[in-house]
Amino acid sequence: MRAEEKVKGGKLICIEVVPKDGKVAKARITGDFFLHPEDTIDSLERSLEGVDLERARLPGGESEMAARLKTALGSSQLIGASPEDLARLFRKAVS
Amino acid sequence: MKWRIIDYSENDAYLNMAIDEAICESVAKGGSPTIRFYGWKPSSVSIGYFQSLEREVDVRHCADLGVDIVRRRTGGGAVYHDHQGEITYSVICREELFPKDIIASYREICGWITDSLALLGIKSEFRPINDIVVGEKKISGNAQTRRGGVLLQHGTILHSVDVDTMFSVLKVSDEKIKDKMIATVKERVTSVSQQKVISREELYEALLSGFTKGKDFALEGLTDGERGRALELVQKRYLTKEWNAMR
Repeated sequence: MRAEEKVKGGKLICIEVVPKDGKVAKARITGDFFLHPEDTIDSLERSLEGVDLERARLPGGESEMAARLKTALGSSQLIGASPEDLARLFRKAVS
Repeated sequence: MKWRIIDYSENDAYLNMAIDEAICESVAKGGSPTIRFYGWKPSSVSIGYFQSLEREVDVRHCADLGVDIVRRRTGGGAVYHDHQGEITYSVICREELFPKDIIASYREICGWITDSLALLGIKSEFRPINDIVVGEKKISGNAQTRRGGVLLQHGTILHSVDVDTMFSVLKVSDEKIKDKMIATVKERVTSVSQQKVISREELYEALLSGFTKGKDFALEGLTDGERGRALELVQKRYLTKEWNAMR
């Protein structure tokens, strides 16, 4: 499961999801965006893990994922994409 | 405050990235703010911290051409560093020396590049997030990280572009091509020598002027400690598969 998007006015983001038993077993976010501090990428990826795929595909799934990603991001700065962009892309990847 | 300027030198990709990191460590311990100029020998590809190696780079073709590949500590995109085709810089200092706002700090450092190019009669402008363009074409790419209170920004200024080699080693995603609304990304790149007849040496002199303008500075080399630490980081990090192929 994979989706890629060039954010308008921003950077390229790509999400790859490994599913297992209807849930996200592993998620990987790649691209040419910036994130300060960089280690926050681990928290962002972990925030997607364990998510129920059926639920993520529902219309409300996107805002729920955006909220999870925002919490994981905390005070770190994501440049060239937003948590909403990642949430939209995540839904696309699992749909 | 006195800046240390490290004169242009050529190293392989692994040592170049290790030197930048070693300088970051010494700045964190109170070392002088530093501007360093360098080249890549052999020609190399550097990829952004978050990029997938396999998706961005034709690894086999790089091996055939003798092009090294290294992952940077900074985000951003994949760059082909032609041995003779560009000049790379790094700016390493306490982050308080620049605006907290990251785009504003890119704008400030990239301003040194646009000033340098203006000295050569080339009109360029900063294009957020991290590019410098002449017209609509990119002439310089830049990337920044801030860790432990230290700001590192490095970037390249293209002098002469071998676009065919550049785009034979870099894979360009369909999404990016679609976004640019053109069939080929080759048309989106330019270089100093495409703008004017200017040697690489003249470009370097202009960069030295642009980067040091208004600053108290001294031309100095790396300390023995930094050099030793850089050699250690080459082995520990930049030469390892765990680092370069981590994504």
